Amino acid sequence: MAEPSPNIIGPQPRRRRPASATDLPVEREALGVLADAFQTFERISVSFSGAEDVVLVDLGARILGPDLPVFSLDTGRLHPETHRFMETVREHYGVAIETLAPDPEELARLVRDKGLFSFYRDGHGECCAIRKIEPLGRKLEHLDAWITGQRADQSVTREGLPIVQDDLAFSSAQHPIRKFNPLANWTGEDVWDYIRRREVPYNPLHDQGFRSIGCEPCTRPVGPHQHEREGRWWWENVADKECGLHAQNVAEPLRIIDR
Amino acid sequence: MRITFVKKILANGQPCAKCADVESRLKDSGQMSRIDRIVVADERDPKSEGMRLAEHHDVASAPFFIVDNATEADSGGVEPTTTIYTVYLRFVRDMFGGKADTVAESREAMRANPDLGLI
Repeated sequence: MAEPSPNIIGPQPRRRRPASATDLPVEREALGVLADAFQTFERISVSFSGAEDVVLVDLGARILGPDLPVFSLDTGRLHPETHRFMETVREHYGVAIETLAPDPEELARLVRDKGLFSFYRDGHGECCAIRKIEPLGRKLEHLDAWITGQRADQSVTREGLPIVQDDLAFSSAQHPIRKFNPLANWTGEDVWDYIRRREVPYNPLHDQGFRSIGCEPCTRPVGPHQHEREGRWWWENVADKECGLHAQNVAEPLRIIDR
Repeated sequence: MRITFVKKILANGQPCAKCADVESRLKDSGQMSRIDRIVVADERDPKSEGMRLAEHHDVASAPFFIVDNATEADSGGVEPTTTIYTVYLRFVRDMFGGKADTVAESREAMRANPDLGLI
């Protein structure tokens, strides 16, 4: 096993501390959302990317301890630091992190036909679909709800992100899936306040200027005044999405709905 | 069961390419006959029905499909449900049957839900 990163806060006793008066409002809100979600759904799991969504693991572990169900999408292109950090989290919280891998045949076909860096030429959609989304879809076939660390302040496409929503990518008429975003109303500052205050272990790449951490070829550090989204897929224009129903166009309150 | 197909018109008055492609596929396959309503989300008109439906159902991209079983529910015996499909291939597989192409569905899911790449 790799050497642990220097920011590890050593093993601590398991704790099941409910929300308290000292918690921030967003923290109490997130704990309440998680508690309700775990109460409502038996087949539910936390999605953990190995970045600052470790806050989600910490919050969940406060409720379920080591029984917290967690899965992670190992694309095969993550930083070594992220792999080591996942191991740190596994040991720190005593949780079993289920690691999901891409379909080997589809991955081999992509690499054979287009090489290892096709995303710089063709955009990241195809690579992400094979390395991340297809395995996620496979996992969600066995879940009725999942929990993400998405926040509204992370990108323009996440403005208005609800705390609870129907999953519109993976639900079907036969199998509806709920998606919980307990950190939707958190800011990046809230996240780092929480990490520092509760001495939550974090990915050492954050100390190197990485604010958003994904696959190694698609992630870069950003400056203090740059948005974290600028550290991902910087060669693409996020606004050039013809299919998007732009926020400014759907901002009018809805009063009449055809039924 | 009632199926609504929501397609988008761009600010320049043209249909979005993906919507046009999906509409063409529906026509070519004969599946358009199973669509009960076609609704337009017009970028030039935030109050257009499609835009309002998108907001109501929290949908961020077009095209999308709304499947509700109000008719069956009215007859009794089943709970009324509404399912939104943002992935055309998944919609077709669920509604009309056929073999799954999970990678193609995943690509579509990425297109319709670009934030999935940040998961």
